[in-house]
Amino acid sequence: MAFDPKREDYQRLALRFAHTLDAGDPVSATHSFASFGRRFAQDRDSLPQSDSDRAFHLVVQATDLLDYQLPFASEDSAAALLSRGRECLEEAVGLDPACHDAHRMLFSPSEMAFDARYQFLHEHEDEVGASCSAAAKSAIADAEPERAELAADIAMRPYLRWLASMAEVSLICGRNRETIRLCEKLFSLDPRDTADARFTLALAYAKLEDDQGFDALVARYSQLSPYRAPDDGWMLLSQLSLAHKRNDLDTARQVLGRLVKVYPDCEYVLVRQSELPDGAFARVLVTPYSEDEMVLAISEASVVFQEGYDMTGRGVLGAWLAREVTALNPEAAEDALRDMQDTRGDGF
Amino acid sequence: MDAREELVQRCATRRREKIGTLSDEGFAELILAARNDPASFVDTPAEEAFAALVAALATYEQSLANDDLLDDDEYTTARKRRLSTLADACDRAATIDPGCTDARLVSILTRDLGPDDLLTQLLELRSDADASIADGDAWNDVFSRPSLRLDAALVRTCLDGSRFKMTLDRAESLLDAAPSDTLGIRYTAALAYARLEDETGFDALDARFGHRGNTWSNLARAIMLYKLGRMSAARRALQGYCELCGGAAYALLRPEFVETYLPDRPAVAPSSFKEAVLAVHESEPIIADVPDFIAWAQTQPWLEQSASQFADKNDLDW
Repeated sequence: MAFDPKREDYQRLALRFAHTLDAGDPVSATHSFASFGRRFAQDRDSLPQSDSDRAFHLVVQATDLLDYQLPFASEDSAAALLSRGRECLEEAVGLDPACHDAHRMLFSPSEMAFDARYQFLHEHEDEVGASCSAAAKSAIADAEPERAELAADIAMRPYLRWLASMAEVSLICGRNRETIRLCEKLFSLDPRDTADARFTLALAYAKLEDDQGFDALVARYSQLSPYRAPDDGWMLLSQLSLAHKRNDLDTARQVLGRLVKVYPDCEYVLVRQSELPDGAFARVLVTPYSEDEMVLAISEASVVFQEGYDMTGRGVLGAWLAREVTALNPEAAEDALRDMQDTRGDGF
Repeated sequence: MDAREELVQRCATRRREKIGTLSDEGFAELILAARNDPASFVDTPAEEAFAALVAALATYEQSLANDDLLDDDEYTTARKRRLSTLADACDRAATIDPGCTDARLVSILTRDLGPDDLLTQLLELRSDADASIADGDAWNDVFSRPSLRLDAALVRTCLDGSRFKMTLDRAESLLDAAPSDTLGIRYTAALAYARLEDETGFDALDARFGHRGNTWSNLARAIMLYKLGRMSAARRALQGYCELCGGAAYALLRPEFVETYLPDRPAVAPSSFKEAVLAVHESEPIIADVPDFIAWAQTQPWLEQSASQFADKNDLDW
């Protein structure tokens, strides 16, 4: 599970629409609802919506520009995407001053230092929490009982994303205990971990070399994520890092073996070790165990790779991983090294 | 490492063992004589190897003198040459006596290995070298010191390789073996506690040494409190770091290249600028892990002011 902005947009309007039908006759309501999908896709403006729904739709548009188009854009078109994304977000906060997602995304990492971003999120953490809880309460009061849970859940999501962003940023800032606090807070609000905060938490345990904390996370992984085993890229890279830090290189190699089995053809990505900006809205949606997912995991794990005195510039673990993977798959490593040289003008 | 003085102590101690019983005054006389002419006291392969190491380190020290006059390429060439000369001399010393841990340690350290490879080689040496050390404070026994130095190099290598729990495990046992901590292991440990955001461990270490702060622990405390988000306390700790040590602000904002420790941290005056340069150098991986720490430090007006004043006074670039 992860945050799907388009789906959330749909759910918001569907709830709103259903709410307007409640007062009328059930037969015509069913008939009307049958046309909802078409109207949502083709004639959105004809559907009932509040300013906060419109603001969220602008957030969705900004997310598409900033998180899904920008990473693949040429240098020439990047500036335009950024400014269009920004316009959407500014319009969103104009329409709905309580559009926390838009406020958060305006403080994007590309525009300010991580610490300033962390401070901003930290300063407003309680306020956003109170605002979303109040919205959830009134959603429950307004909605029909069968829809109340979803309505409350949607009302809380901006706060979950706020905390998840904070957890990611605090990890980058080197505030690992804060990351743990935030992830625990997220789990208490969202026991099924919609935000995939456990990925961030695994890396924080690796940073603090907290084997016990990591093992406890493995033990409760199935509660947090019933449909996935604890073998995602973040967990495996954290486990690998913990073994490397104990200088238990045999175990580190075993975990690497598991990683290349679970993520087929990931050797190129493991050597390339690209760093991407984090998604402005949330972690971008990717298919579990895909190469894209490994790209994300590797990028977020750069906090554990790029540490220590290392003359290659990769960091001690990053260099170890590149060496090991090169031995496993020299061809993929060669491709990665060549592409790194092409894009950076220097080789590792 | 005061290698020559250790040779003197070793030779005098060996000679006393030969003589049998000797009063304290007699031993003091023996030390004076050995200090005057250590070579004439060298009568075992172990001391011969150690004397060869002493000579190699002295030659190395002398070769550092003219570095300031060299351009970058010349410097790199000169550095390579003197490290390889040192390594060869150490290897020869180790041939005289394979038990000369210091010679083998220095030889490994000259190779500019990355932390992973360095750790592997040091661990191999550790399993090979004599690990028996004297009871009580092992530092007081001159023959235990090579083993302690090897352990100290291991502690620093663990830190450089981002193995902070290993750093602390090894540091703790080394501090138990040699509580006087002449090798300054507590400095490395303070950095590891800060990096792990382990305030309890940090405080316990601080208490163990009577809460007498030092350049490393003050800087480490500032980093740790920053990481824990206690910004006013972090600011005070940073101030403490700057006030304790002349030129500390300058050292933090203008880190310098520091040569590999051969075999241990060079002796510098406590709370001197040189000490701050070493502390910052050793903290670099931990500072780099907190990407906005330096930017935050620079927002403290007194820090920049202190650094620029120090630069003016000492004719340094700013």
